[in-house]
Amino acid sequence: MTRRQRRDLWLGLAFVSPWLVGFLIFTVYPVLASLYFSFTDYNVVSAPRWIGMRNYTDLINDPLFGKTLYNTVYLAAIGIPFSLGLSLVIALLLNNKVRFQGLFRTVYFLPSVVPAVAAALLWRWFLNPDYGPVNEFLWQLGVNGPGWLADPGWSKPALILASLWGVGGSMVIYLAGLQNVPVALYEAADLDGASRWQRFRFVTLPMLSPVILFNLIMGIITSFQAFTNIYIMTGGGPSNSTLVYALYLYQNAFQFFRMGYASAMAWVLLAITAVALVGVFRTSGWVYYEARS
Amino acid sequence: MTLLPSARPTARNLRRRAVRAWLASFATLTLFCTAVAQTEITFWYAWGGSEGQAMQALVDEFNASQPDVRVRSSFVPIGDGERILASLAGGAPADLVTVWDWMVVPLGYGGALADLTADLTAAGVGPDDYLPGIWEYGAYGGAKYGVPTTLNVYAFMWNKDVFAAAGLDPEAPPRTIEELDALTEQLTTVDARGNMRRLGFYPNVTAIYCYAFGGQLFDPTTLEVTLDHPGNVAAFEWLAAFYKKYDIAKIRRFQAGWGDMASPFNPFYRGQIAMQEGGQWEVAFTREYAPDLSWGVTNFPAPEGGRTDVTPVQSSFWVVPAQAAHKAEATRFLLWLSAPEQSARFAAALANIPPRRDALALPAFADTITPHMQTYIDMLLTGYVYTPPGLPVGLYLSDQLNQALAAVQDGTATAQEALETAQRNVQRELEKYR
Repeated sequence: MTRRQRRDLWLGLAFVSPWLVGFLIFTVYPVLASLYFSFTDYNVVSAPRWIGMRNYTDLINDPLFGKTLYNTVYLAAIGIPFSLGLSLVIALLLNNKVRFQGLFRTVYFLPSVVPAVAAALLWRWFLNPDYGPVNEFLWQLGVNGPGWLADPGWSKPALILASLWGVGGSMVIYLAGLQNVPVALYEAADLDGASRWQRFRFVTLPMLSPVILFNLIMGIITSFQAFTNIYIMTGGGPSNSTLVYALYLYQNAFQFFRMGYASAMAWVLLAITAVALVGVFRTSGWVYYEARS
Repeated sequence: MTLLPSARPTARNLRRRAVRAWLASFATLTLFCTAVAQTEITFWYAWGGSEGQAMQALVDEFNASQPDVRVRSSFVPIGDGERILASLAGGAPADLVTVWDWMVVPLGYGGALADLTADLTAAGVGPDDYLPGIWEYGAYGGAKYGVPTTLNVYAFMWNKDVFAAAGLDPEAPPRTIEELDALTEQLTTVDARGNMRRLGFYPNVTAIYCYAFGGQLFDPTTLEVTLDHPGNVAAFEWLAAFYKKYDIAKIRRFQAGWGDMASPFNPFYRGQIAMQEGGQWEVAFTREYAPDLSWGVTNFPAPEGGRTDVTPVQSSFWVVPAQAAHKAEATRFLLWLSAPEQSARFAAALANIPPRRDALALPAFADTITPHMQTYIDMLLTGYVYTPPGLPVGLYLSDQLNQALAAVQDGTATAQEALETAQRNVQRELEKYR
């Protein structure tokens, strides 16, 4: 490295130092501290006491750990495919050159900018079994609608239903991806006599696959961290049926003063998320990278 | 010839004068500053709206009366536990903080709160100055970690209008569990869709029935957890039968349609619930949201051999953090704030009950007592007062009780099994503190 390069390096580091310092203090330090706390008995106000792996072994014996993990995986495994599919369908529809295209795009994106708390309160009313519009509509069809958020059997599907309202974010990413599909490919497909479905299956879908992978990864990460909407809509009930991992972690940390246990939970969550993401990458042979071909 | 002092001072003289003048003014300034030096203490209170204004009025009054201490108050919602916890853990808390009762012992036991015993004793305040059972509230292992702000007391409420409409004697609330069961059945209604329209009785606070059935959540003398007490098991068996009979799914569904408690849509005001537990705040709430409602309040029904005078009490607390910068001044303000006169005025503003015995008779509070309120006060004075468990694992215990109830409601465990599991979990957690 020449002197000039070294000087540039230091200058560059000096310029990014506000971010670096912030990153070290507010991200790296808490993350490492939580790793240490996960091996301690720590109630936040007194000094942590080293207990080795006990928090981790306690987790295995905690029935709510399994329950919350199940709830979280359920919401992810059912919610993400629905969300990916629905946002793709909407994006494809909105990609058609129709009148008021801009207006439609805005309308479908709009729910994504509604604050999470407001959306949660709105859906709690919407899904109210007694006077909510959803059940009222079902009653008009002659169906006595379910208890939705009040019924342990329906509460998770209800949460998924409510979350689908906010697919605007991934929809916009799909739309951007669709703009990048070269028209020449569709023309070539037309010349080969491809049907609409074949054009979608063999041109659009492969070209969009990196975007699908991106949305899938983001979906997994946000699903595993789900908190706000559930905290407001159900508080984890009824009967722990919507008690998700992050919510239980929060309860342990800030209500039961079991910060050491909560830290262990956080690291287990990180491990689970990492395994899920590695799994996704390992099986991502279906993703077509144009630049590589 | 005497030489007259020179009319023109020398430079040296000038310097001396300047130094003298500077010293004199510095001394004057120091004296002045000492005379008006005020220690500023920070106080986090937990009330908004008109309640917050009542608290601010007290703060202003204190500030006006104290030359050397000034309270700088700010509204920090009591639900903002993370903020309070972070400030305590970070070693930079306010000097006086308002917290929920369940936080007091865990924080105090963890060393985050000052033990107020010596200060209270020095000020001549003792157990007899408080209502029965309140002095021990917020204390653990001989240390008193906080002072209750104002008390919330629960009692059994019944909607007289609903009773009358159903052809029942509106002046005859149930006295025993058997009478309660019979009335619940008579008053519960279902509509054409099969959905519940009215629930005769809604048991919300599980612990009340544990105590009514002779049980207890923990032993206040030995501080042992007693979740699997036979009285608790009996109460859970009764609750299990209740949820089975009225179908927990239907109740949950019905419950989802209930309006906000502090609104005209409160299910009790609307007659969706005929009998329930309710605190003394209902006196103020009904005046505002259901002025025409005819309701009664009395002791909780109990089974034969159970407790007929169960009086559940809850409160928020004022605590002085151990690392507060101005502990002495904060304690002085706390003693003033919790003195009978201030206690009476603040409780009256909140429609709560002052924890200080002498405050009950002061006009500021006594003039606001209605017949309903009198029932709550009588229960406090003569009943079996129980407060949330003052243990380092207080909220975890409550959560485990709820988990046990959920298991019983869903039929995944018997009352005995569910409570034994809860007992084991809480006991294991408590061991960490010993």
